[in-house]
Amino acid sequence: MKDKITQMLFNVLDELNQLRPREEHLKKDLGTPLAGGSGRLDSAGLINLIVLTEQKTAQELGSPILLTDDRTMSQINEVFRTLGSLADYIHLLLNEKRHG
Amino acid sequence: MEIKTFTVADLQLALLSEDFWLTKTLPITKQRALSFCQNPRAEKNDPVLLVAYQDARVVGYLGILPDKIFFNNADHKLGWLTGWWVDPSIATNGTGVILLYKALNTYRERIGVSGGSREARKVLDASQKFIALNPLKGIDIRFRFNATKTMLRKFSWMKIFRVGFKVADVLLDEIVNLRSFSWERRNSISQRLTFEYVSTVDEETGRFIEQHYHHDLTRKGKADLNWIMTCPWIVSAPQKDAASKRYYFSSVSARYYYLGVKVYAQNNEMVGFLLLTVRDDRMSVAYAHFEGRHAPTIAAAAVYHALAMDVSTLVLYDERLVKSVAGLHCPCWSTQSISRGFFLSRAFADIPMADCRLHGGDGDFAFY
Repeated sequence: MKDKITQMLFNVLDELNQLRPREEHLKKDLGTPLAGGSGRLDSAGLINLIVLTEQKTAQELGSPILLTDDRTMSQINEVFRTLGSLADYIHLLLNEKRHG
Repeated sequence: MEIKTFTVADLQLALLSEDFWLTKTLPITKQRALSFCQNPRAEKNDPVLLVAYQDARVVGYLGILPDKIFFNNADHKLGWLTGWWVDPSIATNGTGVILLYKALNTYRERIGVSGGSREARKVLDASQKFIALNPLKGIDIRFRFNATKTMLRKFSWMKIFRVGFKVADVLLDEIVNLRSFSWERRNSISQRLTFEYVSTVDEETGRFIEQHYHHDLTRKGKADLNWIMTCPWIVSAPQKDAASKRYYFSSVSARYYYLGVKVYAQNNEMVGFLLLTVRDDRMSVAYAHFEGRHAPTIAAAAVYHALAMDVSTLVLYDERLVKSVAGLHCPCWSTQSISRGFFLSRAFADIPMADCRLHGGDGDFAFY
């Protein structure tokens, strides 16, 4: 499942990078910082990432998730610190869904 | 980072507290907080301010103005976003995103936005949560040439010619004064119309507005307009005070007031009501109520007052008034088309906008 999530997030980055100038492209690497102190996404960039991730999770993994609820928002800097931390969080959400 | 949500009741308590006002950056001014607490469309438990704190420092805030919109024979509650700020030094911390989604979640995705900066619009677009309404198309009528202001803003190195520009402005203003005098005589406004000025909306005006606001999206009545007129966000003051230096948005202007103008025809019949906002050398018609056939008369009344109050610019957004201006041959230097953008969250996607009228003062525009 983790590999599928990682591949899905790389696809998200492909689309996100199309919206950004070349010099601001994000690397397809789980260590890539997103938001927070060393992050490279401003508010609009982060929202684009959230929206694309929600859409791609539903399309590619067949299970819609919500990344804009109060729970996610209250830990935004942890969830979106790196691509890897986002992958972990999506994994957690999908597991929670699977186990009810 | 901690996000605190302030309801109307919390804000009332904050007004009495000393600690709330001690932060280096203020999330709201007292004047604006007082106004938020008096909003006739807000309930005590409505969230009206979200503040992001980091180490007891204010690093972001977002105001929400509870309101109602009317369509399909029902009223629908929503909150207009207003005064959205994030400390630029933490622009990548997601603070703006948290504030936006918190507002959307709190108001069950029933949110409106009037205007907004380019950055804010980018964020709204990215969220895919909002639909843009047809922008309100208006007109900016410039009565004064204002060479000093115009030239020095564009070419600051021309400061040495300031006196020359001032002399030019005085001479050009005299030309406008002469043209205004002849325009007033030609249109015989003071013979054709009489006016009554009000600082709050009286019963007669309230009834008049109710007869004319059925197509309005927000249907602002007597209580709502009284609130706007008596609880402004901006104070008339000769200079910035300490609080305004700690708050990112406007809170002080050299001249700021509202004026209600009741317009009567010769037979003493009330034919219109204008709520005017005067800010420094600019006058805007925030709300205008009248029957379509009286549009040229009401447009003339607006121009007449702009000239009488010696403002440089008159701003109109009412479609019928804008159309009527061309036929008035106003004594102005220039006119410019302008527009105001409004956005509503997708929860309101089914609004029959063709039947709904927006006013220049809707959203939070009436307060600027």
